[in-house]
Amino acid sequence: MSVIPVTELDYAAEAVEGDPILGYQALPGVSDEMLDRDGQIRPVWQNLISSLSCMSEGELHERFARADRYLRDAGVFYRSYAGQGSAERAWPISHVPVVIDGKEWEKVSEGLIQRADLLEKIVSDIYGENRLVREGVLPPALIASNPEFLRPLVGIKPSSGYHLHFCSFEIGRGPDGNWWVLADRTQAPSGAGFALENRVATTRAFSDIYGESHVHRLASFFGAFRDALQAQKRYPDDRIAVLTPGPANETYFEHAYIARYLGFMLLEGEDLTVVNNRVMVRTVAGLKPVSVLWRRLDASYADPLELNQNSHIGTPGMVEALRSDAVTIVNGLGSGILETRALLAFTPTICRHLLGEELKLPSIATWWCGQKSERQHVAENIEKMVIGPAYSRAPFFDDNNQSVLGATRKGSKQSVEDWLNAAGGKLVGQEAVTLSTTPAYVNGRLMPRPMSLRVFAARTEKGWQIMPGGFARIGSGDDVAAIAMQAGGSAADVWIVSDRPVEKPSLLPPEESFSRNMPGSLPSRAADNLFWLGRYIERAEGALRILRSWHMRYAESADPKQPLLADVSRYLTGVDIDMVKAVPLPLIRNIDSAIYSASNIRDRFSPDGWLALNDLAKTARRFHEGVQHGDDAAHAMTVLLRKLAGFAGLVHENMYRFTGWRFLSIGRYLERGLHMTRLLGHMSGPDTPDGALDMLLEIGDSVMTHRRRYNVNTARLTVTDLLALDPLNPRSVLFQLNEIRTEVEQLPHPYGTGQMSALDRESMRLHSGLAVMTPEAMTTEVYERLEAEMEKLSDLLAQTYFG
Amino acid sequence: MLYDISLHMGYLYDTPASGARHILRLLPLSIPDRQRLIAGSVTIAPTAEERSDFIDFFGQQATSIFLRAQHEKLDIRMQARVMVEAAPLTADLSPELKDLAVELAEIRSIDPHAPHHFTGQSPRLPDNAEIAAFARETVKPGRTVREIATLLCARIFKEFKYDAEATTVDTSPAEAFKLKRGVCQDFSHIMIVALRSLGIPAGYVSGFLRTIPPPGKERLEGADAMHAWVRVWCGKSTGYIELDPTNNIPAGTDHIVVGYGRDYADVAPVIGVLKSYGTHRTVQSVDVIPLR
Repeated sequence: MSVIPVTELDYAAEAVEGDPILGYQALPGVSDEMLDRDGQIRPVWQNLISSLSCMSEGELHERFARADRYLRDAGVFYRSYAGQGSAERAWPISHVPVVIDGKEWEKVSEGLIQRADLLEKIVSDIYGENRLVREGVLPPALIASNPEFLRPLVGIKPSSGYHLHFCSFEIGRGPDGNWWVLADRTQAPSGAGFALENRVATTRAFSDIYGESHVHRLASFFGAFRDALQAQKRYPDDRIAVLTPGPANETYFEHAYIARYLGFMLLEGEDLTVVNNRVMVRTVAGLKPVSVLWRRLDASYADPLELNQNSHIGTPGMVEALRSDAVTIVNGLGSGILETRALLAFTPTICRHLLGEELKLPSIATWWCGQKSERQHVAENIEKMVIGPAYSRAPFFDDNNQSVLGATRKGSKQSVEDWLNAAGGKLVGQEAVTLSTTPAYVNGRLMPRPMSLRVFAARTEKGWQIMPGGFARIGSGDDVAAIAMQAGGSAADVWIVSDRPVEKPSLLPPEESFSRNMPGSLPSRAADNLFWLGRYIERAEGALRILRSWHMRYAESADPKQPLLADVSRYLTGVDIDMVKAVPLPLIRNIDSAIYSASNIRDRFSPDGWLALNDLAKTARRFHEGVQHGDDAAHAMTVLLRKLAGFAGLVHENMYRFTGWRFLSIGRYLERGLHMTRLLGHMSGPDTPDGALDMLLEIGDSVMTHRRRYNVNTARLTVTDLLALDPLNPRSVLFQLNEIRTEVEQLPHPYGTGQMSALDRESMRLHSGLAVMTPEAMTTEVYERLEAEMEKLSDLLAQTYFG
Repeated sequence: MLYDISLHMGYLYDTPASGARHILRLLPLSIPDRQRLIAGSVTIAPTAEERSDFIDFFGQQATSIFLRAQHEKLDIRMQARVMVEAAPLTADLSPELKDLAVELAEIRSIDPHAPHHFTGQSPRLPDNAEIAAFARETVKPGRTVREIATLLCARIFKEFKYDAEATTVDTSPAEAFKLKRGVCQDFSHIMIVALRSLGIPAGYVSGFLRTIPPPGKERLEGADAMHAWVRVWCGKSTGYIELDPTNNIPAGTDHIVVGYGRDYADVAPVIGVLKSYGTHRTVQSVDVIPLR
């Protein structure tokens, strides 16, 4: 989308008489989805509206809240780049669905299937024979000056035989009741996943009405497309992946969601490499072939070698892989050229030229100003036009306000003719169309709001299939001019209603035929992020524990120069934590790093875990601002530790015990081991300040155990025994090394020969080296060496699996 | 003229590189009635694990190589024997500037040599108002497209100083234009932006210059490395002419064409993506020896 920018519903409550639901009135001279020309409710809306009208305001709100809660709990978000920086935004649902008669939908589908076929013919001509240019149907400049004309792709035939596999269309209904196409989306159409979530949320609100309304289901559409992609694989073991530009992309949620929903890998360009003309994913078990990529990144970024040389998110050699027919990319690289706005001016002619028929669904009337007579037409009808950039790939109502109503040119110094002549082929004029309205719930009643539909088409083994539904973009005001959609709004579910009961498919296989699949190989980058997530989380915990103990003692003495407090402060400075603020900034940065690592692997996380982590960061920031040294801070640390334990618990309880889990665990054990080793090295020496050993036990959460196990007061040797060498104490260094050794043994051996890997050997050596030590032998030098060796182990792990 | 051309490009990496993928565009073209590649080869050391040749959109032979293993240096060598027989420029039959657009619109083609590719902006060459103003000063009523192109070529030669230290391979035409200094790549880029701003299709030519001048003539600038000049579309009947703004001459038998493109990015002799920490040093040498 281009996702819908959210704006407040700015509609001032008007004094409209009558029932909040049944009192709904259409705007004069505007088509309405719910009411026909005579103001009667259309039959397909009857059920929904009569049900709504029987509900109290309280019940309605309660139902809407259910939908909102679903979206929140499922973590549905998109990223907005409006204003400064970017922010994750909740999906702006408009709760009342748009209801469309199944018979009418069949016509729409027919038109869109014709259009998808036509677009395929156009793109294969542009990258193939060039008949359209040669025969004078398409102006050559429109292709040759087009930034989406990707020359390295010319002449490369897609191995599937088709460039297009998944398209979307933005359609609207005019005052005469007929549909037209406002824009074609072929580059990397977004929104199908949001449509699915929109559906789930809406049914949460209206499960009863939905259940009895014969609404066409969406699942079979996705199932058919998944099967079609499966059929494109070269070998049974090949992977299929969704190729995403990464977490910074505005619709990243959807990429992760679709990958999870369809059971595909979610990969970034960096995960892939091209070897011997095959596209391979780097996993912790070595390189694995990928032969189908559903790309969500713009084509020019796919290969820094042959396409955009400034791309940092591509895969060098991707075009080479296409040239040698080694991979199917959906949609084909270069297909984005079909989104060029000026192309809409030529689609009717091209349709007649290539298919010998008229467009079944007309495109919005468009004139390219690169041609003299067309330019003149635009100039003469400027007041009825929207003028925008010819090579823009965004629809005119969704292009960051680059498009303007021709009427606003009135009063400018430069005459319209001069303006158009100067800019020429860079501009396009489009009829300033109006849209139909549909009821939206605004300020306690149904109000007419303009809408356009986003409809999805998938190439399946039975040809193009149109998703029965999609989502409706609902305008924020009551201006029905399509360009007013620039102001943003919300999104509603679309119900295609049949007069007969509908099939209820599900993507789950029938029960008797289940097979248990082991999770596929873990991409190296995901393993890297999981490992560091584990380390950052544990690092935060370690710092929190030290800080809590420090503040508890500070609360008693209020003297930071007291030897023990000064000594611990020195230690903290050594690990880059200053004590200026009670809740120091480096601690928060540390949590942020954990969030960053987690954000790269959102598809492997439950939304609960993600929310818990973000809640932790938010609380820490709040404490950073307001909390005072001493008791106040000690309490704050306890709160943060509890939240951290909450996150760890969620992960521990819910994460599947497979390779990813092992990397996360190794990260935690390693960091915990490092933390304890450093602390012991600093605080368990012979000349350590009074109280240091007790504090160590407290930080190591081992006060009770110590009391139970050793019949003496805290002494250097007992503390060392318990915190360094006790194999049963989950906070001891030896415990961590044992766990690391066990987990490392379970990791896949990428280029295995059956022998122990260097990593195996090192982790075993480290563990047994410590296991044979006595408390007396644990000197500062031993701890220092141990710390260095553990850091080396971390590097070795990275070299072995993340490279 | 018959030439033996040899080129060496060496890369020395501070820390070993690995997973290196490069595309090389080094071999001279064969162009009917102009230039014939009699023999040519590209060799790489260390030996690439993968190597394949393909013809790119603009018709140039490209070699794709992949060096997976760690390597501290990379040596690329090209050897070619080429026959060049550039025809001298004939009488000026190009149209006046105001009539060029009509002729351009009549070319219904987006074949690699269609002039439409060489209008407007390209990846390395965005529009530039200062260069456009510079170009407009050359336009006078009655002047033909070829006259304008030749005058622009002469002005760039005269008003800009050849200075290998002033710019790098990444310098934009806007920067070079401000500096009034640069090398063949900068002068060609500026001239292309100027021509396109007037609506004249113009492209980038990469190639070689003969190293030793004929007796009694001066050595041309740019002979010790790969060279670049400009190709201008002068209407339907004339087609393309090639002008060298670095030396203010039309490209003749001293110029050997390696590739045509919209700008440097399309014909860069070596591009690559690799894993390495730190920087690298490069050495380059070119010899263009006339045999007869």
